[in-house]
Amino acid sequence: MSGGTSTAAPVRSAAPETGQPWRSTHGRTVLAYTTWLAGPLASVLAATVLKGGRVAPGTWIALGAAAVGCVVATAFGLARWATTRYRTTDSAFELRSGVFTRRRRSIPLGRIRSVDVTANPAHRLLGLAVLRVAAAGHAGSGGSDEGGVRLEALPRAEAVRLRAQLLGGNGAVGGGRAGSPGSSGQAGGAAGAAAEYAPLLAGHDLRRLRYAPLTFWVVGGVLAAAGSAWRALDGMGVNPLHTAAAHWIARQLGAGTPWLTVPAAVAVLLAAGCAGAVALGLENWWGLRVEWTDEGALSVRRGLLTTRSVTVAAGRLHGAVLHEPLLQRAAGAASVRAVAGGLGNRDENRKRSPLLPAADRTEAERVRDGVLRGGPHTGADAGPPGVARLTGHPRIALRRRVVRGLVCAVAPVAAALALLGALLHLPVLLHCAWAYVLVAVPAVWLLARDAYRSLGHALHGRHLLLRSGTFSRDLVALRRESVLSWSFSSTPLSRRAGTVSVTAAVAGGEDGYRLPDMAARDAVPFAHTAAPGILGDFLDHGRGEG
Amino acid sequence: MPVPTTANSPSPPPSSQPPGGSARGAAVGSSATPGPYATPVPHLRPPRHRAHPRARRWWTVQALLTLSGPMLLTALALAALSLLFFPSALGWLGPLLLGVLVLPALAYLLAMPALRIRVHAWELGEHTVYAAGGWYWQRHRITPLARVQTVDTVRGPLQRRFGLATVVVTTASTAGDVRIAGLALADAEELAQRIGAAAGLETGDAA
Repeated sequence: MSGGTSTAAPVRSAAPETGQPWRSTHGRTVLAYTTWLAGPLASVLAATVLKGGRVAPGTWIALGAAAVGCVVATAFGLARWATTRYRTTDSAFELRSGVFTRRRRSIPLGRIRSVDVTANPAHRLLGLAVLRVAAAGHAGSGGSDEGGVRLEALPRAEAVRLRAQLLGGNGAVGGGRAGSPGSSGQAGGAAGAAAEYAPLLAGHDLRRLRYAPLTFWVVGGVLAAAGSAWRALDGMGVNPLHTAAAHWIARQLGAGTPWLTVPAAVAVLLAAGCAGAVALGLENWWGLRVEWTDEGALSVRRGLLTTRSVTVAAGRLHGAVLHEPLLQRAAGAASVRAVAGGLGNRDENRKRSPLLPAADRTEAERVRDGVLRGGPHTGADAGPPGVARLTGHPRIALRRRVVRGLVCAVAPVAAALALLGALLHLPVLLHCAWAYVLVAVPAVWLLARDAYRSLGHALHGRHLLLRSGTFSRDLVALRRESVLSWSFSSTPLSRRAGTVSVTAAVAGGEDGYRLPDMAARDAVPFAHTAAPGILGDFLDHGRGEG
Repeated sequence: MPVPTTANSPSPPPSSQPPGGSARGAAVGSSATPGPYATPVPHLRPPRHRAHPRARRWWTVQALLTLSGPMLLTALALAALSLLFFPSALGWLGPLLLGVLVLPALAYLLAMPALRIRVHAWELGEHTVYAAGGWYWQRHRITPLARVQTVDTVRGPLQRRFGLATVVVTTASTAGDVRIAGLALADAEELAQRIGAAAGLETGDAA
């Protein structure tokens, strides 16, 4: 291993073209593989403690297998470390890697979409970070990481320097080549010239944590965690039903009165869920910094144990979503995520695109507006998008939602209860049926009205706004020039109602953003003015088939 | 019924030509404005070229193989079993099978191809490609040729039997991808080539 120097050592400086010498990733990377042993070791330790110090022979075998796996992984990592070289030339980022099949990739700097720097706790202990470069063209929406490149792992300072360098060649500012101190000094002057522009959009704020438990996942998450804990205990050979704690709980539940123990159990469940949500919020959002870099890219840094840093080039940023799930909306909170290309497949995109956790709605709107306004190189023409008034959708959309709720949620359950009650001569079920109808109909009506009020669209400056959803209401703002394609979908029922669903496709985010139940006669003019040049070939301007 | 031969003619017919039969899939924006008060707003006209007539048989066979056939067979088997072993159950099982399996299967078998042949259509504009598809859920999609990444001609074993092909156009967004199904093979290849040429791609055949 190449000693403990803080910068990556130049290796084999045979550089035929103009460019920097080839560099290798850091040797300490290999140490990170030893963390593979942590999980098995911890579970063996826990099992021994729980069983009172006796170790079953099976656990030794499992531990041995884990050790072998760790050695193999380390050897593999060592080989990979020894063969991976990278460098940046004036025009491209180049990477050579591979033990058996050697491959050499060259990504033109102009095609780099985003650069992430991630560090899990092991990497952080070792002062390392993983750099992930996503490039345009290959991956598209296909999913795999084919279009991107991972460098595992670099010294943290080197990763940050490389990120600045890679994104510097992408934006309008050319002088990022010399390294971070020089470039930030140069571009600082340029940023100062652009008035009314604050590079820092959001910082660290613990008060946002109070909104973290406002999700239905508080209950589901506890059950899921309990399930996986059970599986883990079972895997260690401990039957959770036979532990002392389980016996104690069973005794309490049996002895106490149910109207005391059941609410107590629910309260414990909710408390655990809230604690989990807060812990997750701390881990995910500690030290948040959302800011525009001097090169005009949007940078997001966050994380307590695992730190992640996502940088999106301004050209790949297509818009932003103000996300208001039902409970958070009731509390006046909203979260923000970016609509950006090159953040990986849909799952990865969901992990990388959040910009702000549930926060005060005003703060969320401010951050969203800052993202939409653009970085230091956008002109002053982009006004604040928050003030746009949305156009509502036709009244028939409300009726469609009410009918949908009644047909899908109320009718089947009520009919099943009534039918069973009649067939089995159980009057209880009949009572259940009418009670259910009595409760469900107003609930459906309220939700349908809320869903109807959510619907809206507008054009505002450089953006188009789409809003829909009740359990999870999203206000999507898309750059108008980012709309890649338009789709209009309808069913026989929606055509009779005179509505159509419009989908704007963008190369990133969720790929398509759907606006349900727009008035059919408004849909095409809206789409045509929002993103001109797409529908033009097929428009009929007269009355047509009148 | 006009046979979609226009894929062979490089210049589309003049716009005065009516788009085939009157019972077409509704153009977006036109269906909901029946009143005389409707001001002239721009709306999308339907695409000009329709799926090949053979496609209807292809969709019928597809329906038989995927959904209708298995459902009918299940109903038949259950009815036979009931007739052999529980003749008394036929009184309530018969209507149940009819309502749950036989009628939906027949409805799908008859309605899906008939609706699809009316809805499926395509047209290549100067800068965009326009496709309509679906049967119950119908979708009209317009994608600029400049955003096209790949163009493929796909032929499944069943489509090959009917001499048909599907043109698949992909973009950087799954919500922008266009599929034009039920084209005659020659038309499909021609269309793929024209899209590829217009998009400035090297034509890729996945056939």
